[in-house]
Amino acid sequence: MTAPDARQAAPWAAGFLAALVVLLPFDFSALTGDAWSSRILIAAVLVANVWVVGRLPFRIQIVIAWIELAALFALFFWSFNLSYAYIWSRLPYLVGTELNRGFLIGAALTLFICFVAIAVSTIIALIAALARLSGNGIAVGIATFYISFFRGTPLLLQILLIYLGLPQLGVVLTPVPSAIIALSLCYGAYMAEIFRAGIQAIPAGQTEAARALGLKPGQIMRLVILPQAIRLIIPPTGNQFIAMLKDSSLVSVLGAWDLMYMARTHGKAEFKYVEMLIAAAVIYWILSMAFEAVQARIERHYGKGVAAR
Amino acid sequence: MNWLSSAALAFVAALVPIASQAGEVLDRVLSKGVLVCSTDPEYPPQSSLNANNEFEGFDIDVATEIAKRLGVRIEFVTPGWDVITAGNWSGRWDISVGSMTPTKERAKVLDFPAIYYYTPASLAVHEANTTIRAPEDASGKVIGVGVATTYEAYLKGALEIDAVGAPPFSYRIRDAEIRTYDTDSLALDDLRLGDGLRLDAVITALPTITAAIRNGYPVKIVGDPLFLEPLSVAIDKGDPEFGARIAEIVAAMHADGTLSALSEKWYGVDLTK
Repeated sequence: MTAPDARQAAPWAAGFLAALVVLLPFDFSALTGDAWSSRILIAAVLVANVWVVGRLPFRIQIVIAWIELAALFALFFWSFNLSYAYIWSRLPYLVGTELNRGFLIGAALTLFICFVAIAVSTIIALIAALARLSGNGIAVGIATFYISFFRGTPLLLQILLIYLGLPQLGVVLTPVPSAIIALSLCYGAYMAEIFRAGIQAIPAGQTEAARALGLKPGQIMRLVILPQAIRLIIPPTGNQFIAMLKDSSLVSVLGAWDLMYMARTHGKAEFKYVEMLIAAAVIYWILSMAFEAVQARIERHYGKGVAAR
Repeated sequence: MNWLSSAALAFVAALVPIASQAGEVLDRVLSKGVLVCSTDPEYPPQSSLNANNEFEGFDIDVATEIAKRLGVRIEFVTPGWDVITAGNWSGRWDISVGSMTPTKERAKVLDFPAIYYYTPASLAVHEANTTIRAPEDASGKVIGVGVATTYEAYLKGALEIDAVGAPPFSYRIRDAEIRTYDTDSLALDDLRLGDGLRLDAVITALPTITAAIRNGYPVKIVGDPLFLEPLSVAIDKGDPEFGARIAEIVAAMHADGTLSALSEKWYGVDLTK
């Protein structure tokens, strides 16, 4: 009887020791008054917690894991001893419920920049993907050059080049249009590759069958290939948009009053930097979750035909 | 395909408007009735955003007064500090009232028509520090400064202030290990973590350090100021008439005590003499 027991207990003991090792750099002595007994207590609670939750149904496990991690997160920030009154007083400017001289600020401006950039980059990506797949050497050359440059240089550099470089040609843009152009061009390049892959993934038989029915090349692309390719394109594209939401924070270097800029500036006003950064992190996170939800809906919509089979 | 490339060139040329004539800043300001001033609201008490999301600070008040005396409205824009100091503003803004030190390097790309006050540059260490009792003790230590600031130039031994009547100074800290930050207050944020944890000391403007201390930062000022920085209004190259007009207005603000009063209001002392 003892042998199987020992074999079952071994992974738990290993987990307990691993937890202890992870806890080594931290000082929790406030818990019990002694550093080592605190670490042992925390490690034991962790192992017991995993043992208990492991016995529950799958879905409940997920929910409990989320709740526990969120609680740990909150506890972590709580320990910073932050001024919540300050976060609350400056929150309207982070969220952007107020205007600045008639223009959006904070998260509202971040969303505005992203929505415009999403629309423009989708069009650019479609054109670039079709150009790459075309039989025209010049079109392929231009498309590959564009994709190579904008995938091959940092976004921050592109933003600065557009803001500081275009005036040399006489085009003086304000920060927000500069940001939208840079984000559109950069993400257009990434998405062009996603679009190309999606279009190429549709079997050649589809094109052949459509041609046999007498459809013209433009019709084949519009009516046969693209509707099928969209299903493959959406998940990676949704990923790109979520990445764009956060990359848009780079525009704060130009002094566009986006969420990141407002967090930085209001953080500096009374030396409450960490407060504002955490508040901005939470807002970005909530926006990302909203983007994820929208992506899931669109995926379901275009996946209908496949899921029914 | 030759016709195609020439057609493309013609198309691009049609898109690019002709560059505006340089040197007409004063005309533009007076005809539009707006003085556009760049400011970096990450530097209280010079410039910051208050609880109503409005600009406030010493620089803000000075810029507003300059616009008033020009007979125009003031408007603020907020490009990054390195974008401001790089010059070539392309008419995006007309003036910088941003506590800028007129260094020789900056004078290559900007004009400095008028010094409006002097700020002491000081060394700060963590409260718990006992070894750095004078600036000289910080030699060879890890010191944090804002990027492209005069404090960074000072530590590198490359500070050349390009202004008439700037008080002389000597390099008192040698061979420091320099850590640069996007803005000065980030350096103070690293210093507050603990003595020698990330930084041994920070060099920044004395008013910035006192503001940090007032907000509960566990830091203290070491010894006398390292040097006195003359701080100037800056304009883009190419419009001496605009510069002369600004110089005249700032001189009047010095003479009638306006600047002294504003300095008393924001710093508690008169830093304009």
